[in-house]
Amino acid sequence: MTTKLLLLFLFMGMGTFCGYAVMLSMRRRYTYLNGVCKIIGDIKRNVAYRKDSLSGMLAGVDCESAQLKKNVEEFIQYVDGKADKPQFSRGFLPKDIYDKAVDLFTSIGKSDGPTQIEQLTVFEKDFSKLCAESKKKYTDLGGVAVKLGFLLGLGVGILIL
Amino acid sequence: MEELFRLISDEYAAVIKSRLFLERLNEVRIINGAPVRVSYDGAYYFLTKSGLSKDGQAAFIAPLDEADRIVMRACSHSLYTVTDTLKRGFISVKGGLRLGVCGEGVMNDNALTAVKNFSSVNIRLPHEVKGFASNLFPKLVGIGIKNAIVISPPGAGKTTLLRDLCRLISNRGFCVLLCDEKYEIAACSNGAPTLDVGVCTDVISGVDKPKVFEMGIANMRPDVIITDELFPSDMESVARATTCGIAVIASVHAENIEQLRLKRDWRSVIEQGLFDSYVMLSAPPRRTVTVYEGVSL
Repeated sequence: MTTKLLLLFLFMGMGTFCGYAVMLSMRRRYTYLNGVCKIIGDIKRNVAYRKDSLSGMLAGVDCESAQLKKNVEEFIQYVDGKADKPQFSRGFLPKDIYDKAVDLFTSIGKSDGPTQIEQLTVFEKDFSKLCAESKKKYTDLGGVAVKLGFLLGLGVGILIL
Repeated sequence: MEELFRLISDEYAAVIKSRLFLERLNEVRIINGAPVRVSYDGAYYFLTKSGLSKDGQAAFIAPLDEADRIVMRACSHSLYTVTDTLKRGFISVKGGLRLGVCGEGVMNDNALTAVKNFSSVNIRLPHEVKGFASNLFPKLVGIGIKNAIVISPPGAGKTTLLRDLCRLISNRGFCVLLCDEKYEIAACSNGAPTLDVGVCTDVISGVDKPKVFEMGIANMRPDVIITDELFPSDMESVARATTCGIAVIASVHAENIEQLRLKRDWRSVIEQGLFDSYVMLSAPPRRTVTVYEGVSL
């Protein structure tokens, strides 16, 4: 009896953990996209006013997303001349978001102020849309994923028992 | 010099570091698809693996995108930071380096809006020579400071002379306002001069002269305004400063005083007696400094 209860709790735990992992992956994507939108806004404001160089501007950026922080560091390496070509690690990013992020980073710093701001505005619109979608997904489905995971674990545990 | 090596290809940098005396290097000229040249001791040579040569056959040939790469490195891949100066044909780099840049202009309603497809760059290196103006200093500075203009052909050392003169005047205790339009004299970086221009020098960088004169006269109470490359259009500002009791020391491009006198705008400046002294700096390698008092002209 004790063993059966233990197994039941184990499956419930595993199921909850799986649901939590799904929620975390949604949160991770949202955090990345939110961070990108913030960076775009910061760069736009700086290009319009102070016109600081990219490495100086981005070195002070505070990124909640570890993946975004890594991409920013890779970009700073490139603009500082420590890397010949820009190389960005993909990590957990799906292909469409990764390609868009690479487009964004490779377009920064290659045109004059007004053109740069126009380009960034277009990117800001695209990333804001993606960010809003991922936020909705996270807030609507994140909790549900945990609960479903719990129930799935419970169901599997009961079935096996 | 570290800034120079950051800009150019590693193979050019290696030769320059190992074969040349950096204090004698004045320019590095790169044209896409052409042999790399340097100005060394006042003369031009091709840069080869073994050093300098008058024969271009053995010289390094710059790749077709070399100018573009140098420009992007110079602006730290932030082209929007230098578009204003690019439209004027140059980029200023930390340490006082100035890149002259050639490329294709983008015109809009007869105005130059951007420069693209860079084709060549001329990297000019500053040389801080303390003591260069030591003999000139007592001729211009006594109880007060004379209005003076330094005349020389390009590459003779006007900026080096002005920088040292600024340092000497400033360290004497005079309030100096330095108009460093092209970031060459003080070469300020993050708010601090990277070259010694004296302890009493206020520096305004990257701003055109009439504006600097206006701002400086009104707010900084200078004893002297020092600036590089004066044009006839700047004379109104100079006249206003001198009538306010502020001395002006500046430079102008000309082969010699006779050539300057032939230019109509400058002839009237000389006749007006706006400047007390005319300092003639001869071309390298001699670089002799001769002072003419205004009345004798």
